Amino acid sequence: MFYSKHLNKALDNLKSNPQTSLISVSTFAAAFCILGLFMVLYVNLDSLLSTWSRQVQIIVYLKDDLKNPQRKTLEALFAKNPQISSVEYVSRQAAWENFKNTFSAETEFLQSLDFNPLPASYNLRFKPGPNRVENIRLFAETLGKKSEVESLEYGEKWISRFEKFMIFLRVFLLAVGGLLSLGLIFIISNTIKLSALARKNEIELMLMIGATHRYIKTPFLLEGALQGAAGAVLALLAAKGVHGYMSFQFSDSIAKIARDADFLFIGPSGILILFGVSVAVGWLGSYISINKVLNMENGS
Amino acid sequence: MIQLYNVFKTYDGNIPALVDISLLIKEQSFVFVTGASGAGKSTLLKLLFGWERFDSGQILVKGMNVGKIKKEKLYLLRRHIGVVFQDYKLLPNKTVFENVAFAMEAIGASSRSMRYKTSDALKSVGLFKKRDSNPMQLSGGEQQRVAIARALVNNPAILLADEPTGNLDPDISLEILKLFEMANQQGMTVVFATHNHELVRHANYPFIILDKGNVVRP
Ligand SMILES: Nc1ncnc2c1ncn2[C@@H]1O[C@H](COP(=O)(O)OP(=O)(O)O)[C@@H](O)[C@H]1O
Ligand SMILES: [Mg+2]
Repeated sequence: MFYSKHLNKALDNLKSNPQTSLISVSTFAAAFCILGLFMVLYVNLDSLLSTWSRQVQIIVYLKDDLKNPQRKTLEALFAKNPQISSVEYVSRQAAWENFKNTFSAETEFLQSLDFNPLPASYNLRFKPGPNRVENIRLFAETLGKKSEVESLEYGEKWISRFEKFMIFLRVFLLAVGGLLSLGLIFIISNTIKLSALARKNEIELMLMIGATHRYIKTPFLLEGALQGAAGAVLALLAAKGVHGYMSFQFSDSIAKIARDADFLFIGPSGILILFGVSVAVGWLGSYISINKVLNMENGS
Repeated sequence: MIQLYNVFKTYDGNIPALVDISLLIKEQSFVFVTGASGAGKSTLLKLLFGWERFDSGQILVKGMNVGKIKKEKLYLLRRHIGVVFQDYKLLPNKTVFENVAFAMEAIGASSRSMRYKTSDALKSVGLFKKRDSNPMQLSGGEQQRVAIARALVNNPAILLADEPTGNLDPDISLEILKLFEMANQQGMTVVFATHNHELVRHANYPFIILDKGNVVRP
């Protein structure tokens, strides 16, 4: 009841200066669309990262002519690590066959090689878990010191580089979001200030009659929040449109990069955050300006 | 009851608007405040409903220490006070009825009581028939009646009038004065500021004369 009255007032305000309202809503929409697209990028890179890190394995290349007991000590070491989900032994022979199968086009060159240059190896896969990449790195370090091991190959380096990049991207997103929000707070506060100044007489009267500050402010706060909400809805629709267009136009290349993972849109929590932030920004912007206008009034 | 003790008020960088004012206005009384333009009449009224702050002294209104009220709480003081101005201060985008109802809306009255109390207030100033008109289509006297209905509608204990007849012809002014007398007879304290000596002489009420911010004893 209390709020429906204020809501009507807020809608009246919006309607009574449509140009400024339209400008601030579309500025909101543009800014949050940009932010939304960054979030789409982030969401997809994040899902790529988790797909890839799920595939991280250690390949342990063995020294040539390793004897069975020496292999057993390594296998015992693997068995002791609870994080390892599977161990696959690839003999020199099997490796060579694999290699030849993969590069069958180059058979002429391969046939000219009359010895097997490939070492035997173990493929270690790890169980999923929060510290998977760190665990893999630690175990790889232990293995690297073993005399039986010729060399190791694992994705730790680029995975952790990728993870660092994701942290950077997150900070970047927050920074961009923060800057855009600041700009929007400024814009909204200007719009609401115009709206409040257009109703200066009314505000003055309300103060004289004995309206509470809360009563006077609420319609303007709602007006700002509504503008934020409208901007967010438009932004999400636009971002969804861009997302749809891109997944249609670039489906092939996306499939290649992402190895058949889907091109994701922002999830429900992301949408909620975007919406919440824009409503909060609209509210905050109008809060600042309506307080300023009220303080300008004498008698308030 | 309105009490002022040694009240001083100077606007920023100006000559003093009120100098050492002490006075007492009894409950349910009718008092004129007179004096030439610039004497400090408006300032005095503005201090009473907390629209302007004063420099020193003490003001008590309805038992409230006006100088001590925080600005977020001033509404509590103002809900005891109705104010009427020379320029009516009606909202041009609302009907007569809505202008009066506005005062009830602003203090969060229920819509049902709003409907009948607004009608009552309009009837008491003789404008119920014009409730759906736009105030800008009314004569000055009628506009002032609407403003008085708006001041009365919340049934305040105190009615402050700042030159309410300043823009009106003498006979219309007398009609407006009658409305304030009516309110006073119903128990409201009326403080009526005017520089119209005709009006002051016509009605036989106590008056306070201000001259350059000082109270002059008659
Ligand atoms: N807002 C203001 N700022 C500065 N000076 C003011 C203001 N309002 C009134 N004054 C000065 O205070 C004095 C009293 O003014 P006012 O109370 O309006 O007198 P009156 O209502 O009797 O004409 C005058 O000298 C006027 O110039
Ligand atoms: Mg005056």
